[in-house]
Amino acid sequence: MEVKTFHGGVHPAGHKELSQESALQPLLPQGELVYMTNQHIGKPATPVVQKGDKVLAGQVIAEAGGFVSANIHSSVSGTVKAVEPRKNASGGSAMAIVVENDGAYTLAEGVGQELADVEALTNQELLAKVRNAGIVGMGGAGFPTHVKLTVKEPEKIRFVIANGAECEPYITCDDQLMQTKSKEIVAGMELILRLFPNAEGIVVIENNKPKAIAAMQEAAKGTQRVSVMPVQTKYPQGGERSLISIIAQKHLKLGMLPADAGCVVDNVATIYAIYRAVYFNEPLMERGFTVSGDAVEKPGNFIVKIGTSHRELVEAAGGFKLTPKKVLSGGPMMGFAMTTLDAPICKNNNALTTLSFDDVEVAQKQMTACLRCGRCSRVCPLGLSPQLMQVAAQRKDYERYEKHLYGLECIACGCCTYNCPAKRPLMQLFKQTKAEIMAMKKR
Amino acid sequence: MEELYNVSSAPHVRSPLTTKGVMTDVLIALLPTAVMGVWVHGFPAFLVIALSMCSAVVTEYLFDLATHRKNTVNDCSAMVTGLLLALTLPAQVPVYIPVLGSVFAILVVKCLFGGLGHNIMNPALAGRSFLLISFGSLMTVYSVDGVSAATPLAELAAGKAVDLLPLFTGFSSGVIGSSAIALIAGGIYLLLSGGITWEIPVSMIGSTWLFLAIFGGHGLNPAYILPQLLGGGLLMAAFFMATDPVSCPSTRDGQLAFGAFAGILIGLFRVKGASPDSTTYAVLLADLFGPIIDDLIIPLPFGYRIPKDRKKAIPKPVFILLSITLVAGLALSAVYGMTAGTIEQNKAAANKEAFMAVVPDAVDFKVDDTFKTALSEHEGVYGEGFGSASIESAVVGTDSAGNVVGYAVTVFNADSYDGGLKLVVGISADGTVNGISFTELHDTPGMGMRCGDPEFKDQFAGVKVSKFILNKSGGSTADDEIDSVSGASVTSGAVVNAVNAALDFVSARIG
Repeated sequence: MEVKTFHGGVHPAGHKELSQESALQPLLPQGELVYMTNQHIGKPATPVVQKGDKVLAGQVIAEAGGFVSANIHSSVSGTVKAVEPRKNASGGSAMAIVVENDGAYTLAEGVGQELADVEALTNQELLAKVRNAGIVGMGGAGFPTHVKLTVKEPEKIRFVIANGAECEPYITCDDQLMQTKSKEIVAGMELILRLFPNAEGIVVIENNKPKAIAAMQEAAKGTQRVSVMPVQTKYPQGGERSLISIIAQKHLKLGMLPADAGCVVDNVATIYAIYRAVYFNEPLMERGFTVSGDAVEKPGNFIVKIGTSHRELVEAAGGFKLTPKKVLSGGPMMGFAMTTLDAPICKNNNALTTLSFDDVEVAQKQMTACLRCGRCSRVCPLGLSPQLMQVAAQRKDYERYEKHLYGLECIACGCCTYNCPAKRPLMQLFKQTKAEIMAMKKR
Repeated sequence: MEELYNVSSAPHVRSPLTTKGVMTDVLIALLPTAVMGVWVHGFPAFLVIALSMCSAVVTEYLFDLATHRKNTVNDCSAMVTGLLLALTLPAQVPVYIPVLGSVFAILVVKCLFGGLGHNIMNPALAGRSFLLISFGSLMTVYSVDGVSAATPLAELAAGKAVDLLPLFTGFSSGVIGSSAIALIAGGIYLLLSGGITWEIPVSMIGSTWLFLAIFGGHGLNPAYILPQLLGGGLLMAAFFMATDPVSCPSTRDGQLAFGAFAGILIGLFRVKGASPDSTTYAVLLADLFGPIIDDLIIPLPFGYRIPKDRKKAIPKPVFILLSITLVAGLALSAVYGMTAGTIEQNKAAANKEAFMAVVPDAVDFKVDDTFKTALSEHEGVYGEGFGSASIESAVVGTDSAGNVVGYAVTVFNADSYDGGLKLVVGISADGTVNGISFTELHDTPGMGMRCGDPEFKDQFAGVKVSKFILNKSGGSTADDEIDSVSGASVTSGAVVNAVNAALDFVSARIG
């Protein structure tokens, strides 16, 4: 069978073997838990607890600040220690709720209770459950899931895509999740498919995860509407646009939503969270998480409570065996470089990659003038011309950058920068240029 | 916080390929060609390659040093330029040729334009064209095995058949890097390793092939097309020169257009041009269009259609210049069309005047069938004993009653002292020379130019002989002896030969 893929893309070393065989182990937090109020796209949540309040696991501690926002729940039982600004993994400061763990993990009322008759739920009730559970896109974007599922014309959705591509190097937690929770993910998909009567459910998995593919195929066997599609191992296979270009044969443009191409895309971890929320009335309190890289002793996969410090994860992975030069929240292609490990895990953080080397530092030394070789254009998954964009951006020719080169389409996947032999910092320039153009437009 | 880790913008990993790696790949790809070159041409080829590469590197190093720039020799790009240049030189050139070429390529074409990534054309080719212009005679002497010979393409142009095997191996008269098989091997290596993409080689070789097939005059005949494609540096240019990323367009569509443009130029130069170096100039010209192509041809992102306002992408000056050129061109051709008739008439009148001067009794001149046949039999040099004289035209002069009163024969002779001469010989119906009149005579004033004086010219008038003889010592008495203009015996002899040719030509008619 032909294995599908998108145009362009790169093949960075995967390093999945470091953690691929490590099953998801539950990890209980030792220290305080920090819940950022901005761990999703949209308005920050509004804290509804105060310093000194007792909270239970699964209790809402901050309410959604609007429709495009999400509730935040405590993942442990304990006492609110503070409501104060803290820094998240990408270094941004925001209001956070700090909870002292009492170690009892007492659940709030109703949390974890199995719902007897899921079939009887109406679509509205289903969406309300997803919304109340504070579920957001767990693949990285953190877009509130109930917003994604609220589509104007649900009958026009043709594909519900479960994103199990996991194309970032090092990360393997979705792989493990699909191997162990395949039935639950399929059940979660069937819940989503209820909202879209004409849609077909497709689980997309890169073909470097044969075990996950087998498990998901097995789970999808008895279903009418869910199937598994293995795709080529290539970065950014798991990008929303890549998936839609493969499955719907449509290319999203700037400002378009997946729904415009008849698609709804959700990460497999998000779908699992939907399953837990609907069947067990369980809000989003924990998630799969990979700790990997060459600097830690025992790379592995964990189920972590939201709010746990990254530092505890390094300890759980056996500490450092090499001095880390770079610590990344996420994978090496799109992850954020952290200055310190003292940052809490948010709903959309899926990995901690610790590296004893820094390619960027080396690249800065190797940088030469642009050769105009076009290796950047060859790998751009959107068909842009990064070389020409670079020239326009440097000249501040924003008219050409935006109108002729479609520079604002850039999804910052970093393929061009990865592939550049002259080691030009293209993506940095494009992000900066986009920000400048957007700022000019607002004025 | 005891630790502060490195922070940078994503992506945090980079491909292992560097600029140096890109350049090293090109060097590897050129290795077979260089080895074949040294095998065929021996030590001189090795010397040329070594000198060219060394001077390229040293020039760049010194330039960086002198201008306080970061040393860029390490990126290996200067070595590539040096090697490329060497491979486009004949092996027997004097040692200063590769050195001068490399210095020009690196210093003028590369460094002065801003170094790596900023040269407006391929430095190696620019270096080669500099050498061609400055040392043309040294640059075009090719030999193989110590025997100098015409290049395969020159032989082909002369109508000879060309053996393909030497073209493949490089055992043919040509530059050091002329082994087609080695060039193809290097090209394939670059294609597979991602150093180049297929667009430029394919569109360039394809369009050259197409152009030659249509306009080459030999159709698809492989005996003509194959040597054209394998020789003349086309493969070198298509795989290594035109694909120089710095000077070619960076987008796929742009590269296709670029390759096609270069290929058409090569075809045009080969079919219509005088210079044997079609490829060098074609690629250099195409290089100059690289930035414009990049400006005009921007590939659309996936999922986009050409927007309605896309034509705004073409800058206004281009339209304005294009329209001016079109209008001027049309105006010129219109003016030419209107005046073409007048020009012809003027020409005919001028000719008639020249004929009247030597056949004064005639009122009308025309070429009849007898002369037409005779002229076609005597194309080119007239024959033995007449030097280089050739008959250009011959007309019959008739009087008002239509009777033949004489003939006017225009003869060209390249043997004169400086640049050739053209004269009209008037011969009466009975074979007597009426006189001669020069229509072209370039010579030394006071010497050869005096052939145009009546003293010399009039010696021919009124004489009826079958052949004149030049008397270099002067004081001749016989009718058929012509006294040479003193100090200009070469030109005088050329005139006598020309008149003799005319006489001989007419005698065939009047017997």
